[in-house]
Formats: sequence, C-alpha cells, structure tokens
Amino acid sequence: MSESNSTIEQVTPEQAIQNSNDGKYDAVIVGSGISGAIAAKELTSRGYQVLVLEAAPAKSLSYDGFKEYVSNYYVNASKDNNAPYPDNPNAPMPRSTDVRKLCLGQMDTQGYMVQNGPLALDSTYTRVTGGTTMHWEAKILRMLPDDFKIKTHYGVGLDWPISYDDLMPYYRMAEREIGVSANVEEQGFYGIKYEPDYVYPMHGLPASYLDQVVGKGIDGAEFELAGEVHTVKVRPFPQGRNGIPNADYQNGAGFNPVGAVGAVQSEQGGRCQGNNNCVPICPVQAKYDARKTLYHAAQTGNLDFLPQAVASKVFVDGCTDQVSHIEFKHYTNTSSPEHTKGNITAKTFILATNAVENARLMLASDLPSSSGLMGKNLMDHTYLLAWGLLPEAAGTMRGTKCTSGIADFRYGQSRAKQAPFGVDIHNDGWGWATGSPFSDIEELVDTENKFGKALRQSTVERISNQLLFAYMVEQPADESNRITVDPEYTDALGNMRPIVNYNLSDYSKAGIAYARETSKVFFQRLGAQDFSSYSLLDYGSFNYQGESYYFRGGNHFSGTHVMGTSAKNSVVNEYQQSWDHSNLYLIGSGSMPSIGTSNTTLTLAALCFKTTEHILAHLSSYPVNVVADDAFKLAKGAHS
Amino acid sequence: MNTQQNQQQQFIELSGALTDFNAFALHGTGQVEHYYKTLNDIVGYDTVEQLLCVFQTVYECACDEHMFLIGIRQQIMGDVKLGPVARNIIKLWYTGTWYQLPRTWQEAYGKSEQDKTFFVSSASYTEGLLWQAIDANPSGAKGPGYGSWSEPPRIHFDNSWQFVKQQSV
Repeated sequence: MSESNSTIEQVTPEQAIQNSNDGKYDAVIVGSGISGAIAAKELTSRGYQVLVLEAAPAKSLSYDGFKEYVSNYYVNASKDNNAPYPDNPNAPMPRSTDVRKLCLGQMDTQGYMVQNGPLALDSTYTRVTGGTTMHWEAKILRMLPDDFKIKTHYGVGLDWPISYDDLMPYYRMAEREIGVSANVEEQGFYGIKYEPDYVYPMHGLPASYLDQVVGKGIDGAEFELAGEVHTVKVRPFPQGRNGIPNADYQNGAGFNPVGAVGAVQSEQGGRCQGNNNCVPICPVQAKYDARKTLYHAAQTGNLDFLPQAVASKVFVDGCTDQVSHIEFKHYTNTSSPEHTKGNITAKTFILATNAVENARLMLASDLPSSSGLMGKNLMDHTYLLAWGLLPEAAGTMRGTKCTSGIADFRYGQSRAKQAPFGVDIHNDGWGWATGSPFSDIEELVDTENKFGKALRQSTVERISNQLLFAYMVEQPADESNRITVDPEYTDALGNMRPIVNYNLSDYSKAGIAYARETSKVFFQRLGAQDFSSYSLLDYGSFNYQGESYYFRGGNHFSGTHVMGTSAKNSVVNEYQQSWDHSNLYLIGSGSMPSIGTSNTTLTLAALCFKTTEHILAHLSSYPVNVVADDAFKLAKGAHS
Repeated sequence: MNTQQNQQQQFIELSGALTDFNAFALHGTGQVEHYYKTLNDIVGYDTVEQLLCVFQTVYECACDEHMFLIGIRQQIMGDVKLGPVARNIIKLWYTGTWYQLPRTWQEAYGKSEQDKTFFVSSASYTEGLLWQAIDANPSGAKGPGYGSWSEPPRIHFDNSWQFVKQQSV
C-alpha cells in the first residue's frame, strides 16, 4: 500500500475465511465506526491479529472517494444528515426524511427503521466506513459525575456500575484519540474534574460572534428550580475537530493534529476552517471521524479489513455458551442483493455496530440475553428547538455548527422531578427547525413577494439575525422504549430490520416544557422576536399540560445492551463483556445505563478504551506474536 | 452582437434587477450560461423571449427607479405567466436550485420533463447569492478560515445592481 492513496488494504471474503479457518484472528470486530476503529487500533498496535467486518463499501478511504461524498452533498436537494451518503439497500440506514407522523396503532415501514410508535423517532445513524462519526457534529462533552448515579440520587433511570472517577483516565485517552479542542479552565463545572496537570490536546475554538451577542444578553439570568438558583452563562463546547495544538499537552510533548485521510493528509484538515457543515460532512476532514483511527490500525499490518460484509448472525456453542462464529453476507454491488455467505471465528468477538444495530443483530440471532434486556432501555437525547430573530445581524451561518451553549440546567435537585438539559446555540440558525436558509429565500420570494433591493435587505435581516436554541433533554432508561425485530421486515439481503418502539415520559416532557419557558426568557432579554411554533401536524408533535410541542431525535441511541452489576439486571458488565457469553463484547453507547446531558460519543469512546484494556489482559493469556517495534510506532497514539 | 448574446445580456440585466446583484457579481458566479440554458430548456425559448421583451419595455418606459419597480411588479411579478418564471430566476440565483414550477403554470403553459426541483450543478449550490448577501460561506464549501466566525459579519451592498435611465432604441 502506498501512502499516496492511503486506501486501507482489503482482504477478500475467501482470504478472511481462510485466515479464520487457520486460527489467525485474535479478534473479529463488527463495524468500523469509532468503537470498532478504537478497538482495532488498540489490539493491532499490540500485535494482535484483527479482522474488521464492515457492512458498507470503503471507497471513502481514498481522498477521491471522500470527495464524492462532498459532491453528493452539494447536489442533493435534501440536506439531511445522511445526504452525502449513498443509498445502499444491502446495508440500509435510517433517514430523517423517511419519518412521517404515525397513525395510532399503525406501524410505519417506509424507512429502514420500522416505526412502531407511539411517537415517531427521526434519529439516524450512518452505515458507511467510519460509521456515524462521518456525519456527527463532534461536540464532545464529558458526562457530569452526578449522571452516573441518577437512580440513587434522584430515583430515575439506572445507575452505572462505575463512576466518573473510574472513567476519568479513559476520557483522557478518548480525548487524545479524537483530538479534542477545548480549554480545561472553561470546562470544569458542576463536578467535572480533571487530573491536576491536564490540558486538552488543542486549544478551544473561538466563540462565534453569535455566541458573543447571545452571551451579552443572557449571561447572569437567574432561574429558581427546586430551591436552587441556576445562573446562566454561555460557555464554549469541547470540539472533536482540529484547532491550535496546545504546546503544554502531555507535559510539553504537544500534539499533532490528524488531518484528512488520503492523498494530501499532511496538507488538509489540520485545522477547522469554519465550513459550517460539520453535520453531515466536514469537507476538509478537520473534524474527527473513525477512518482516521482505522487508518492507524491498518498501518500496524495486523488488520484485515473486509468491507461489504454484513454480519448476519451470531452463533453460540450450546455446550460452552461461547460464541463459536459470526456469519456474514458479502455483496459485490450495492445495486444487487446477490451475495455469498461466510463464517468467521476468532478468540474474541466484538460487536461495534451501534446501539440499534448491535441489539438488532443479537435479536435476529435469537440471543435476547438471559436478562431479557437486549434491545430494551433504548434512550436518545430529546431535542426541543426554540427559534427567534435577533434585533441585529449576528453573523449566523458562520463557524462550526455550534461553538457555545448553556450548561446551567444540566444539574441540580430538580432532576428528581423533571429531565435536565443542555442548550446549544446553533451557528447554522434555524436550519434544523425550518430548513433555513433555503426556506427563508422561498418565503421571501414566494410569500412575501420580495425582489431586488428589498429582497437583498430582507435576506440579511431574515438570516443573519437568526438564533436557534437546541435544548438537549436527558431521557432516562425505560424498558418499554426498545428495539425489536420481526421476520416480516427485512432488508435486501434478508437481514431483519430494526423496529423502534418509542415514547416520551412525563419526566421528559416536564423538562421540555421548562426548557421552552427558559427560551421565552432568553428571547425577552435579547429583544428577539420569538418565531417558535409547534404544529400539531408535525411527526414529533405531543401535548403536555395543554401546550403543544414537537421534539426531534438526537441521534444518540443508547442503552440497548445495558451495563450493570449482574446477569439479572443487565446485558454486559462494566467491561462491556456479555454476561452470557464471555468471549463476546457488545461495545458502544448501547452499554450506557444513562446518558445525562452529554453527547454520547466521548463517553462511549472512553468505555471502549476501558474495554480494550480488559480484552488485552484476557488475550495476553494466549501466546502472541509481538508486533515489530517500528510497526508499533506507526500506530500513533497507542497508549502504553 | 447576435440575438443570442443580446438576449443573454438582457438576462443578466433582468437577473440584476430581480436579485440586486450587479453584472460583475453575477458573472463572478460562473453560472450565467448555465442558468440561462436551464431556463430556456425548461420554460422554452418563447417564454424567455417574452419575459426579456417585457423587461426591456418596462425599463425603457420608466422615468425613474420608482416607476421601474412598479412596472416590474405589475408587468412581470404580478403576471400569471411571467411571475412564476421570474420568481424561479430569483431563487435560482440565490440558492442554485431550480424549483419545480407551480402545477397551474405547467398546465397552462406546458410541462417540461426537466421541471423538477434540483441543484443545477454542484457548483450552483456553492455559488448561491444568498451566502454573499449575508457575508457567509456556503455551508460545506469555501471555508473562510479558522476563527473568522468570531468577528461580526461584514455585510455590504457594494455590488448592488443600479437603475440607470435607459435611452429608447
């Protein structure tokens, strides 16, 4: 393989099967998203032989292949969060554009994810090489220490079997792998703590002008909740994208940002350029995505990568309860369902698809977990949007999608009664709520009948003054929210599709209603005109205490193979190891018992480092061929 | 100047008046020929000719900008046939998107196979004038550089279209 095109060398299905039969593989990993890629890198850099099965094609591993995604995005009339990624009936993915309002008691089977209601959930994930990190926004928050014990502290949801302190060293590893830009002194609030010497790999991204305008208006606003005063302060978010490296990182060793995967890796993506398009694709690859990690895993020479291979069934040996092998279906063309089947065996099996797909695959394999919890406790962050028009041009539509927000409703005793929330200030204005800025032009021209100078002036006032608050509301675990399967609903390859059963509790709704009240106060303080409206016809519409709202999914699927203290109360242990099958690991946000008010990726990545440490300890009981020193060094960022 | 060049010239003038971007700004997008062709392909040469003709007449008859704007409003924007076409031209320039014409228009004046909502090209998306109007880069392209977003936007109207009293030919 030459560095110049950097496409990760791929194995054929026949080679993978032969290697498997020869007993080559220490681990087989299903999925090349962030969890799979980290696991692959950690294992291969220590000399272990790994096969990664990826359901999607791998064209994007070359620079030109990646650029095709960007072109797709430009020409796609829909700019939804999967717009750059081609349809693939052999490994389909949910799209928000498929979601419609559900009729009571009726399933909606139009999209890949079958909607069984009662509420329709428009969350998505991306089934491409690199997984959902291809479209993620890359805001990358640690959870609050309090979030790990919500059952004990507030009587809601589930507790984790581990604490923030247990996860702290792994957060650090995850922040290194992803390459996080943030300033420690701006992030240590509401219990979040760091090792005394810690700095983030890169300095925090500057706040947008919009953030500054909003901060001037609302900083210092006070809200009394459950006897506590919450004082608002606009704060910057940690970002999983390249900024200015911090020379103090790792005691002065500094940090080398990882740029674009492909031909011009050293020239592009080294620093965010403000393309305002983190979701659904960063055109310069300054945003982290899992291909960067996968690429480093491949450089060890210990990775076999098999794309276009959809894991279709997990088989368990009835005598030992160990996983014996995984069956996959390999296709050569996304436009044809023609495929061949193969079986892969290894010492360790790691499912790293995502919370929905991990549960889907296990349930389709008739492995519902002895706890019966496989697929249950599905959580997502519930978003309420509130949007208004500022009295001045705030430069909306510039910068990364979101540079700052409000953390002051994430904590507190009110968590016993209503869901806590974080707030994002969206640099892309009303886009999420209304389809702005295109919808604004349509309205100005077709409804307000503007043209010429009046149109140009109105365009400025209508778009550059926009402000959208996205309230990210915690959803605690609830067994009735779940992923199921049914042989009646299958994809082109005959694999069962996920069925989502989803509702919001009054606890969530109370948090959403309170969030809406805070937005009214913010708009008042800013002198902004409130444009928020929640149509009853919207697919996310619901009523709470006489008021209408609608919600949006946060794409943070979690909880479906929940972690706990015993085989009775959970699917996996604190190492994400299946209680039922000790050589099987289900990794990712599916293991999280609660998600607090943090986007899930940093925590699931931290968990992944903890898990791989456990797997490494386990594998070291087998004889191993230690990797050559130079190959080890190539796997940059490997943690000794 | 042959007829076609003359008409394209008129198209630029019309586009300028409708969008408030001058010919220099419109040429700068590299999309003039693309858009002019798309328009002709979808609504037909005769309709385009009619639109440009009405525009020229309104322009020539107007004593001042106020009168000109009334003429555009009444003779073009408020015309059953030309109004939807003119609005499509505005949206095309601002967003790079050709929007499907209203069904009533298609029924009255003919439906083209190409008349669907689409980006004329991947470049047309990034060349939408709306981004220039608000001093922002098109989302996903032309990143303005690290940290540029912390400064206030520099919104200006230096490249506005100007009404100039025309002499009748």
